[in-house]
Amino acid sequence: MSWNRVAVIGAGLIHMGELFDQSYEQMARGAFDAAVDSVDQGFDPAEIDAVFVATQRGTLWGQEGIGGNTIPSAIGLAGVACTRVENACPTGSDAFRVGCMAVASGVHDVVLVIGVEKMRDKSSDEGLLARAAAGHPVYTRGESAPVLFAPFATRHMHEFGTTREMLASVAVKNHHNGVLDPYAHFRNEVTIEQVLAAPPVCSPLHLLDCCPQTDGAAAIIITTPERSADFTDHPVYVAGFGVSTDHPYLHEKSTYVGLPATVEASRRAYEMAGIGPADVDVAEVHDCFTITEILDIEDLGFVEKGRGGVASLEGETALDGRIPVNPSGGLLAKGHPIGATGIAQLTECWWQLRGQADERQVAIRNGFALQHNVGGRGSGVSVVNILTTNPS
Amino acid sequence: MPEWRVSVADVDAAWGRSPGRGTLAVCRADEDPLTLAWTAADRALAASGLSAETVDGLWWGCTRPPFAEGPSWTTLAATLHLGAGTDGALLAGSTHAGSDALLAAVDALASGRVDTAIVVVSDALLPATGTGHETSAGAGAAAVVLRRGDGPARVVRAAHLWEPRLDRYRGDREAETRETYDGRLFREQAYLPLLGAVGAALVGEGEPAGRWSVPDPDGRLARALTKRLGTSAGAAEDVGSADRARLGDLGSAAGLVAAAGALATPGSVHILSQGGGRASGITVVVDRTVPGADRVAAHLSGGEQVPYTRVLRARGVLTPTGESVEMAVPPGSAMFGRGAAEMLGLLAARCVDCGTLHTPPDVHPTCISCGSTKFDLVPLGRTGTVQTFVVNRTMPSPFEAPLPLVVVDLDDGGRIMLQGGDDGAALEVGSPVEIVLRRYTVERGVPVYGWKVLTRRPEQEVAS
Repeated sequence: MSWNRVAVIGAGLIHMGELFDQSYEQMARGAFDAAVDSVDQGFDPAEIDAVFVATQRGTLWGQEGIGGNTIPSAIGLAGVACTRVENACPTGSDAFRVGCMAVASGVHDVVLVIGVEKMRDKSSDEGLLARAAAGHPVYTRGESAPVLFAPFATRHMHEFGTTREMLASVAVKNHHNGVLDPYAHFRNEVTIEQVLAAPPVCSPLHLLDCCPQTDGAAAIIITTPERSADFTDHPVYVAGFGVSTDHPYLHEKSTYVGLPATVEASRRAYEMAGIGPADVDVAEVHDCFTITEILDIEDLGFVEKGRGGVASLEGETALDGRIPVNPSGGLLAKGHPIGATGIAQLTECWWQLRGQADERQVAIRNGFALQHNVGGRGSGVSVVNILTTNPS
Repeated sequence: MPEWRVSVADVDAAWGRSPGRGTLAVCRADEDPLTLAWTAADRALAASGLSAETVDGLWWGCTRPPFAEGPSWTTLAATLHLGAGTDGALLAGSTHAGSDALLAAVDALASGRVDTAIVVVSDALLPATGTGHETSAGAGAAAVVLRRGDGPARVVRAAHLWEPRLDRYRGDREAETRETYDGRLFREQAYLPLLGAVGAALVGEGEPAGRWSVPDPDGRLARALTKRLGTSAGAAEDVGSADRARLGDLGSAAGLVAAAGALATPGSVHILSQGGGRASGITVVVDRTVPGADRVAAHLSGGEQVPYTRVLRARGVLTPTGESVEMAVPPGSAMFGRGAAEMLGLLAARCVDCGTLHTPPDVHPTCISCGSTKFDLVPLGRTGTVQTFVVNRTMPSPFEAPLPLVVVDLDDGGRIMLQGGDDGAALEVGSPVEIVLRRYTVERGVPVYGWKVLTRRPEQEVAS
């Protein structure tokens, strides 16, 4: 039995990318409109009685003072209850989970969860550079974003014989999917050779092993299963979710070939949904770097530990593979506007479960889609949400 | 010695001069007189077989300490884990500071004020760019451990002579050391007469001249002086000449660096020094091999040859255009104060109940293994093997790419991630590494020190 105490009735996003001509507020308005327009039987925004805003690092990216009162005004809902949620790279997915709990508790009836991130108001160098100086002034000095994941690639290669070609196959697949996704930041194919020949960023990761810095916004509207009937005949339910944390320093990891936070978050989500990894039809996972998707598909139980690289190279995660992963193009191609990322992944899951994913539609057999993020200091926080079309 | 060597001919070529001979020892951007001093003191203490707890005095001679005013001495003492009541001093002011430090320590021991002292001399002069001084100035450090009472070697005699004379100098608010006004004037009126007289005072009539460590500010003067130091009983032996040709003049470190290797062999060694118009001579009698002295030659060998442009960049003469990233908190902040001893001492919090080591201690109030909240502060071991690593190749200023970051499984059971201290080319999972003190950055004018990982070299294997 899945949890199913919350239903998704609308979801949408804007075209991700370097949105130099759009403000934080304009992006939010675009995503909000897309979500409202997606509701099958029409939706009056006045129905919304609470908003959860997912923005990860407003200050870092030049958006000082982002808080719980900025978004309602931008979307014409000034006065509504609104709270900002921040939880590193899983900010969007965790804001969704918090919104679900607000609905399930009975405190709020119809909730908007909206993720907005303006990353390109600062140069991509400056974002990278700021991260290299974040955290402990000495012990985490030099830790730019790839440093959080590249050590796992080094060790995965050492222990399992994973190759750079296997890493590259993840970028090739996700770029291919991005070509099919009208909302993706990058809509071009890349080849294994191009990924291998790209300039090194943080060995063993090269440029095309890394996601871009992207502006974007995504929004999702949730309510109780009972009320969902007012808005749609094809609701999607929240089957379960899980969050877990790990120690924040890279030198205190229990393993360098996996992320325990992902393992535990997914175990909790599977248990809540009453399913196992084999029941999942499609997954949107955190592929900030190629190695991350390889770790994810192992930690989420889709493939055996150590087989992630081989499975990717052999097409097991392609649109027509055994377990399609990141049909939207993932963070690598669709982009990673941090607070919006999780909500955009959930939107893709919603479309896939409802058969609305056009050319990138995958086969839905069991009616379950899984969404996953991992990140933060030492990749120490992970969130997994599972959606389903099954009423119980 | 610092990691790098630059050829004199390369420097000369940049300034359109005919090529000189030899190489100079120069600092990477993450080395300075303090990191060099730490390396020498750490090795000397290890060779002595004594623990840091037994040391109650630290005397440091350095022409150009990292802070013209500020916590130079305390920073070095913290990296060496010396006790809070340690005696000592930082002697500076000229290249004569090395002798000042040695004699000050001898006096403190003789008076009974301290029992065990580390004397460390180090220098990394910043010569005025484009001057002759630039083709003679090297960088390096040496240290000895002194104890009251019997030992393998004794300081037996000292002599001094001075006159107010402007040779090389650096005025207040000046960054670079100025070249002498007139090299011939300095040779004839200061260097040869003062040092010649001091040297003569150390050796009795009719005694063999023996072994000498002599300063060589321009690469030529030492030869003339050594000739003068000979006696009727024989010629003087300049023990440092071969090393100076590869390392350059080491300023206040020169005397002890050249003499250190000679402490391996019984007999007298005379150490001469000069600077700021002062000249001193110190005679050391070696009765039996001083522990560690036999390893000095290995420590003076090696070094990576680099182009002059990299030296200029490391010295901060060539700087990239644009802003550089500041640390999240300034070095004067409470956070640095709270963590200073932990960071400089590479301290870990060891769980009293289960032994798990946590770094840094002040962010670990709770044991990550058993949940205990009781800890002992202990220094982490400094050898281990690579668990995993990356080489970051896209670093903004003030970082220099490539910058390795290495997760090290320490031999004492701890684990830590630190920056690599070189380009990371030799790193492999499982390879043996050591942890060394380096200058992480100069943040808002303040040098900030931390620990870096180096691949262990064959010579160091023998050492451990």
